[in-house]
Amino acid sequence: MEMEACARCGECLAWCPVYAQDPRESICSRGKLGSLKRIVTSGLNGEDMKEFLEGLYECSACGQCHIVCPVRINTHELWEQARESLVKAGISQPEEQIKHLTAIRECNNSFAKPQTERGLWAETAWRAGLLKEPVRLWKEYQAPVLYFAGCTASFDPAMQAVAVQSARLLQEAGVDFSILGPDEPCCASKLRRMGDPGFADAAQQRADLFLRSGIGRIIVSCAGCFKGLHSDYAGILPASLEVLHLTEYLDRLIREGNLTPTRNVSMKVTYHDPCHLGRHNQIYREPRNILHAIPGLSLIEMRRHGPFSLCCGMGGGLKLAKPEIQKKMSAARIRQAEETGAEAIVTPCQTCQMGLMTGTEATSSGLKVYHITEMLIRSVCPEADRAHIEKAFTEIETG
Amino acid sequence: MHPRPWILFWFFVICCHLYLDYSLYRRWKGWIRGMKTGFAMSRLKMPVVRIWLYEVFLQRQLFSLSVMRWLIHQCIFWGFISLTFLSLTKFILLLLSRISLDAGLHDFFSWGAGYPFTKLWGDFFGLILFAGCAGALARRFVLRPVETAHDQTDTFLTVYLLLMTLSGFMLESLRMALSPSDLDNYAFIGGIFMPARFGIVAGLGTWHAVTWIFHAFSGAAILAYLPHSKLLHSLLAPLVIALNAAEEEGRKDMYWPKTKQYRPIR
Repeated sequence: MEMEACARCGECLAWCPVYAQDPRESICSRGKLGSLKRIVTSGLNGEDMKEFLEGLYECSACGQCHIVCPVRINTHELWEQARESLVKAGISQPEEQIKHLTAIRECNNSFAKPQTERGLWAETAWRAGLLKEPVRLWKEYQAPVLYFAGCTASFDPAMQAVAVQSARLLQEAGVDFSILGPDEPCCASKLRRMGDPGFADAAQQRADLFLRSGIGRIIVSCAGCFKGLHSDYAGILPASLEVLHLTEYLDRLIREGNLTPTRNVSMKVTYHDPCHLGRHNQIYREPRNILHAIPGLSLIEMRRHGPFSLCCGMGGGLKLAKPEIQKKMSAARIRQAEETGAEAIVTPCQTCQMGLMTGTEATSSGLKVYHITEMLIRSVCPEADRAHIEKAFTEIETG
Repeated sequence: MHPRPWILFWFFVICCHLYLDYSLYRRWKGWIRGMKTGFAMSRLKMPVVRIWLYEVFLQRQLFSLSVMRWLIHQCIFWGFISLTFLSLTKFILLLLSRISLDAGLHDFFSWGAGYPFTKLWGDFFGLILFAGCAGALARRFVLRPVETAHDQTDTFLTVYLLLMTLSGFMLESLRMALSPSDLDNYAFIGGIFMPARFGIVAGLGTWHAVTWIFHAFSGAAILAYLPHSKLLHSLLAPLVIALNAAEEEGRKDMYWPKTKQYRPIR
């Protein structure tokens, strides 16, 4: 129905961050909807099908087209559904995406690492004196809150600081929480993003695990995992299980007086809305509230922000399928951030953080890219800032 | 006035209508195959209804993106549905009058005290539709924004609606010339096209019949053309808006355009 509801107005084209880098009709939603309609009605010839598939995977599923569509066509869901249908029909994803999905299916994480390593960040951080107390595992202690770190913050050495800082902030606020550690599964949302038909089963398995474990509240620090657990699992998880993004929870803790940013952080920063948090889940206010609560920090908005925030290109498997396009997209975002005159760009998503770093490299920009926890840590407990964490982790690793 | 081919006209209307129904039925069968679950009316909660009213009738999203586009679309939208409403009402009243169930409303609106209201309604919304179509064509061919689709059928539809509106005004003016009435002043646009203004007095009956045939048959043909044209979105957009808003509401991630807080700047 959505394919025929398109009024061909072209707003999607005018706002698409991928089209801005590769201006082909087959890239934008209007072109893809037209092709999908033809597939259903009359079929596409070989050349057109090739073009359609390129457009389908050259998309970060950022949802900008949904936001500007006067008909509110849920485009990104349509692309995910189309990808899944094509896989079922024997037309598979690009090679790099397949490798990534295989890792998730076989190792339960996108880094293809042993699950036993998943909770090591907490142990290392405690040994390095970066935490106030050791983080307990859920199987040993069923706390009222579960902190879900996600694959990137658990396994990527460059992003483990996010998990450490999140845990530290929760401890500073006096939150009683534990982690699943080696039992923490990959949220599997990437299966959905790239159209893997195994997503429904994988989601059900994870939901069963949460239910069996009797978890009541999950705090997620990754925007992608949050989209997975909050939106993709909708209807699978019971309403009694609350899934919150870390920024929502920290904002609440600050407002309730449980966490007080006291130290001055004299910086001019700009804020990058992750697509999965903003456009997909309407979380715009909370991260900004956190930044406003930090003394000395001033926030300058970019030309495109909130629902119109320019995607950094890390979502929807685009980085895997077309890394050169992702690079251009993140460079475009960095240029917008530079226009504000800010010293740093802050985001509450480690994947966006990595994506934006690609952009600073591509543009040779002096702009710093920070996770929002870094800003808050500097105001609450600077001894756990990124530099200290990286130094401590390196020292422990090198013995 | 020359006699008009009413029987042929009604035969044409029925054929076009049947074709429209068949096309929509076939499409509907395809659409429900693609639906993940059935749609329960209980999903139409207040925020969904609110979004639906704002987006369908006021087209708030479009307003936030471009005031000019919004104005053009509002003109076409309100012009089209108001004229359709007028034609439908007149048709229903005509049928009811045949079985004496119209409570005298048919005569009231056709030549009684309600006649000026009919004239004003028709001319006003005809003008609105005309302005919208002219604006859309000007935007497409003069302003030429990058996002414009180079689809000839979209241009054809706009021109089609424009010509239908124009022929409506012409028809009204010819009728006024052939059988003048004291209430003709209410047809404030039709009067502009009065043939007497241009010194034309002969052969008006033939012109009236020709214009009537063009206007009436092209109006009915829209029914058959609808499923194949961009006009289909006028039926589907309200449905899609409701379905997607209900789904978003169910997931608690409904998008509500906060146009004052977050301004769209390309």
